[in-house]
Amino acid sequence: MKRALLSALLVAVTMVAQAGPPAAAISDARIRWLPGDLPMAGYFSITSHASTPLQLVGGASPVFGHVMLHRSLHKGSEARMVHVEALDLAPGQTVVFKPGGYHLMLMHRKRALQPGEEVPVTLRFGDGETLEVPFRVEGARGE
Amino acid sequence: MTRSHAASGRALGVCLGALLLVGLLVGCGRSAPPWGLRDITGLMPPLDFSLTEASNGAAVHGKDFRGHVVLLYFGYTHCPDVCPTTLSHLVRAVAALGPQAEQVRILFVTVDPARDTLAQLKTYAAAFGPQVVALRGSQDKIKALTKRYRVTYGYGKPDAHGDYEVSHSSAVYVFDREGDVRLLADSTAEPSIITGDLKRLLAE
Repeated sequence: MKRALLSALLVAVTMVAQAGPPAAAISDARIRWLPGDLPMAGYFSITSHASTPLQLVGGASPVFGHVMLHRSLHKGSEARMVHVEALDLAPGQTVVFKPGGYHLMLMHRKRALQPGEEVPVTLRFGDGETLEVPFRVEGARGE
Repeated sequence: MTRSHAASGRALGVCLGALLLVGLLVGCGRSAPPWGLRDITGLMPPLDFSLTEASNGAAVHGKDFRGHVVLLYFGYTHCPDVCPTTLSHLVRAVAALGPQAEQVRILFVTVDPARDTLAQLKTYAAAFGPQVVALRGSQDKIKALTKRYRVTYGYGKPDAHGDYEVSHSSAVYVFDREGDVRLLADSTAEPSIITGDLKRLLAE
């Protein structure tokens, strides 16, 4: 309950934090923890509240050396990842970054991370605007 | 043909039809309900390999897992999305078995032995739970095993940091206690479906 309230508050804060464009709301932002310095995946849901097309082009974080937009592709029984240069969002459109699809690839940790903590990730848009989003670190099993 | 002949002919037809129906019903009654996952019984060779177990550095073979229901998956630790998603589904499916989870093993075979050291694999497997057994071998041994189960993998071009992607199969092969291949799952299989099928295999 506390966690739900906190998440709701964070979403509200995320929306308030940027008065001008890009008008995008982020929810359920989380990172699946993996040990050591293994690259990890970040998942979230993004909804555009802009009146014109919005383009998500990347991300950055003080905790990671490198943040990329990625997508897992499945061809038959084979899985592979591709780098996504930009993701277009029509006004009002929601795209869900989820396991097996779009995700943030978070690489080269600058410090040790533990499940339960929260780390900031700044999403970057095509028009140069940015949006800082707190990501919750979940356990390897996604709990 | 007289009227009575026609009638008896019809009666014979009805009898044969009834017999056929009974036969079908008996046949259906005998065959088990369909599996939740894809039934691949007999389509792949039995579980057999010669690799190193990451948790203790010991040599292990397919036959060491006889008596356990085995889930075999090929992946790599520098895989942030598909591999942890698949493993977490499998771990959840196995955990739902309760005490019977002890009779199931999830074998995670790395297809990236250059980066996946035994120490790295040990920590990785432990993050998912005690039923996950991480296995490593030379390229030759991994090639032989992937060929045996018709699984492919390949390496992408390294970037400026030396990081590279690995394309790999999302297939999960399920073997019964005898080591015979039975079912095929993938990264999208629902844990509850997997649990149901594992229960049936454990009950055999």
